[in-house]
Amino acid sequence: MNVKFLNPFIEATYEIIKRETSYEMQRGQLDLETDPYLTDDLTVIISLVGAVEGNVMYSMSKQTALGLVSRMMGQSMDVMDPKVQSGIAELGNVITGRAGIKLAQRGYETNISPPTLLVGNGAAIYTLDISRVAVPLFSNDIAVKIHLALRASIRGDTGTLDLEGPSVPRQL
Amino acid sequence: MNVKFLNPFTEAVQMVLEAECSLSVQRGPLTMQKSSMTAEEVTVLINLVGQVEGTVLYGMNVQTALNLVSRVMGQEFPELNDLARSGVAELGNVITGQATIKLSQAGYESQISPPTMIEGKDVEISTLDFQRIVVPMTTETGDIIVHLGLRESRAAV
Repeated sequence: MNVKFLNPFIEATYEIIKRETSYEMQRGQLDLETDPYLTDDLTVIISLVGAVEGNVMYSMSKQTALGLVSRMMGQSMDVMDPKVQSGIAELGNVITGRAGIKLAQRGYETNISPPTLLVGNGAAIYTLDISRVAVPLFSNDIAVKIHLALRASIRGDTGTLDLEGPSVPRQL
Repeated sequence: MNVKFLNPFTEAVQMVLEAECSLSVQRGPLTMQKSSMTAEEVTVLINLVGQVEGTVLYGMNVQTALNLVSRVMGQEFPELNDLARSGVAELGNVITGQATIKLSQAGYESQISPPTMIEGKDVEISTLDFQRIVVPMTTETGDIIVHLGLRESRAAV
């Protein structure tokens, strides 16, 4: 994980959450995490493809999700229903889109995937050979953790698939 | 979800598992799912970006994952360690890569993300407004459940 990809995401999260919900967040301690990420109540996963590639996750408690969506929709939400889930996924989408623009301004053109949402805690998520940096952002009422597993693309490595396998007999 | 995106993936699963694992693969009955799915013990998640976009999930139980990776690497894996995880994710990566080559031959250019692996059955995975086509791929070492939540990209058309 290259740390220079970090700031666009921290800035975008701060800006979008402030714009959409008027929560002013602060940034906590940055952490390079070697263990798998154990899911919080709600996790948005979005992939980046392009000059920067990898996965971004935004995790939060149920309480934070309800707090954010209540403000986004201008009405109090107190149950984790599909509307809340969709609102959080969309928030992740907008944040990542804005981070993608910031990356492009720094010379890294990327495209982002549609969001996937994980609901429920305790599952382990592995980003495999891309290490993961986690940054907590919080205010008095809410806390969102950004997990970034990104790298500069190694294009050219993809697409050349050796389907024949090594020409050494295998012992099965 | 457009059904024409299905065959590239089922063909890629068959082709890659035969080449990498010497396994023949039977395709089970298709279903369409709109609600969120309950995760399998092991799920490999890969996203597509481009003229086809969305999410592909490969779900299986731990034993199937171990069987597959044992065949790919040519040695027994008794437990799901980092090397085994990497092998299973790479299998998903190669299958998805092959599928996008087929999609591109059909006129749909797309790129794939690096894989993510989800372990644990306690979560629901939601592709939100993407309907998923679910197709079980059966082998003698266990089933791989392929979930495709894909659509033609509005931006790229």
